Amino acid sequence: MRKTLAVIKREYLQAVRKKMFIIMTFLMPLLMIGAFAIPTMLMGNIGEKRVAVIDGSGQLKGAFVAPEKEEKPDLAIGKRGRDLPGQMSIDYIDASGKDVEATAKPYVAQMGGKNGFDGVFVVPHDALTREDAKLKYYSRSATDFVAQGRLSSRTNRFVQQRRLTERGLSQADIDRVLSDLNIEAVQISKTGEEKKGGVANFFVGFILVALLFVPSFIYGLETMRGIIQEKTDRVVEVLVSSMSARQLLVGKVLGIAAVGLTQIGIWILLAAAAGGYFAAVQKVAGENFLAILKPSTFVYFAIFFLLSYLTYVCIYAIGGAVCNTEKEAQQLIMPITMPMMLPWFLMGPIITNPEGKLAVGFSLSPVFGPLTMYVRTLVAEPPMWHIAVTILVSLATISVFFYITAKLFRVGILSYGKRPTIPELWKWLKVA
Amino acid sequence: MGDILAVRNVVKVFGDVRAVDGVSFTVRRGTITGLLGRNGAGKTTTIRMITGIFMPDSGDIQWLGGGDGSGASFRDRIGYLPEERGLYRQMKIVDLLLFLAEIKGRRPADVRPKIDAWLERFELTDKRNSKVEELSKGNQQKVQLIGTLLHDPELIILDEPQSGLDPVNMVLVRNLLRELRAEGKTILLSTHMMGEAERMADEIILIHRGQVVLEGSLDHVRGAGRKNALHIDFDGDGAFLGSLPEVMDAAIVNNSAEITLADGADAQKVLEASVGRIRIRRFELAAPSLEQIFIEKVGDDTLAHEVAR
Repeated sequence: MRKTLAVIKREYLQAVRKKMFIIMTFLMPLLMIGAFAIPTMLMGNIGEKRVAVIDGSGQLKGAFVAPEKEEKPDLAIGKRGRDLPGQMSIDYIDASGKDVEATAKPYVAQMGGKNGFDGVFVVPHDALTREDAKLKYYSRSATDFVAQGRLSSRTNRFVQQRRLTERGLSQADIDRVLSDLNIEAVQISKTGEEKKGGVANFFVGFILVALLFVPSFIYGLETMRGIIQEKTDRVVEVLVSSMSARQLLVGKVLGIAAVGLTQIGIWILLAAAAGGYFAAVQKVAGENFLAILKPSTFVYFAIFFLLSYLTYVCIYAIGGAVCNTEKEAQQLIMPITMPMMLPWFLMGPIITNPEGKLAVGFSLSPVFGPLTMYVRTLVAEPPMWHIAVTILVSLATISVFFYITAKLFRVGILSYGKRPTIPELWKWLKVA
Repeated sequence: MGDILAVRNVVKVFGDVRAVDGVSFTVRRGTITGLLGRNGAGKTTTIRMITGIFMPDSGDIQWLGGGDGSGASFRDRIGYLPEERGLYRQMKIVDLLLFLAEIKGRRPADVRPKIDAWLERFELTDKRNSKVEELSKGNQQKVQLIGTLLHDPELIILDEPQSGLDPVNMVLVRNLLRELRAEGKTILLSTHMMGEAERMADEIILIHRGQVVLEGSLDHVRGAGRKNALHIDFDGDGAFLGSLPEVMDAAIVNNSAEITLADGADAQKVLEASVGRIRIRRFELAAPSLEQIFIEKVGDDTLAHEVAR
């Protein structure tokens, strides 16, 4: 016991003193927030795009050019309307009575040049009269769907208004007919309490899951690296002559787990501080960003972090024990760890449908359980027995993994030769 | 004094290689026992089985030292210095030594003063807070040796302890080992340096190709009374010495000859034959050196080359 404690202490102190720990602890949350917040902010802002609108009907100017700039309707090449600030600058071209495709051609040809257009939007002359008229958007990238969506919704809205006007409705009636209703997300918990969060919760959830998941890999990798280093430095001989391989492995795994828990502790403190700040902000903003950050979030975080970490670290410890270089070890365990990442890749469907078959199935199965169940506890309220099953299944998985790892560790740790193949490992497992 | 350790008919096979092939010997308490052999003879594998790193495929290893009353496992009463350095490079010397004592079941508070004493003795006090990687190879070796002895083991197993040491430190280690023996410790010293074993060991175990080929006290091994080794230092051309009828074998290097006499040959005849041909500065009849015995025992040509290196 004292020996294992000595190993735990050594592993812990060595890891916490490393730069890696400081970086992981303070940079990771920032990186995660950055990784989700920046694209989210950018989603709504497509940057300054210059688009030519070729209007065959000649009647859509109002949709694209601000009313006060409508003074010179005789312009063949419309002036640039900036009614979509920071998003698009539109050159409106009245092509009524002309061949729209022919008119569009020079603009399409100019696309991509220094002063050229990013897109050309073509409205056929029968846009207001035919129900199946086709709008056309030429773009330099196949994925420019934000600009395309904006242009088409603008056009459609205008066309709808026109159609309604033709049917004799007044402007006031039209506004009422076309007015959108606002949606408010309400989550019903078992206690009947109402929580509002919606999109903000989605992203906070994503960040929390990443914080749970990424350290498992990084510390797993660290453990593997540590074992390989011990083999390279031949310290392992001294270790194994003083204690059993199992004692050594337990010490290592728990030592690094303690490092992870320390890190989480720091994160929770940081989150509490940030939470205080956001709580003040949300009163002003009127939106509940923090519906997701309930106390149970942190309890579950600690539980599922440990389960997830222990599952992964065993696999990495095998890699370290049976290989002599990091490269070899990575190659050996890659086919094992990649499938283990499945819930991470399926995070989208899981987070949007936490009570669906996929999410429930994954959360109750070995290996995938901790991560998936954590997501479920974040965005929904899974039944208590589901959580209990996940924890039990995970503990069983970890025990089996640990048993296998300890065996392979014993044989592998002193093998300095070539990297063993999977069948060889199987043989080791049987003799050990 | 009784035996502290018995190795009985131990076998270890790696793939097609029988690294250790039925080795048996005992180690007597309070002695320095030399485990000799060429590189790859099976010394290190034997030691790894004694220290519990490998399990023997067959045979057994028995600790005969009894309990020390503390209930500590016999592993904790062995100090092991591996052949290759085994230290955490990133650790401070003092932290590393504490760790090494702790994994042998010692309390940090108990070993701290000892660490200071050992560092003092090995002139490493000023390196106390240095990292291992900042030390020279020789100093790392000294740290490893402290780590081996810090928990006050009864049986000290040293695998090539003097590699990487300069002559001054070699003397330091030599004196230390003698001192430990005087304190009643038992030392199993694995080495391929015959001269070193000759200076230090009370008992010799000679291993060749995984088997013990010679075992016994140093005197016994050298064939007490069998004085057929002749050392002659001279000026002049001594090439003729090799062709004298009394000489079975002669190694003549510069102005020094190591001669093995034929059975029953009289050394005086060699002296007579030399008079007038060379000027003799030293003429000594002695028991054969371990090196000669070693070559005789496992003799092949490459071996002589190996030892001379």
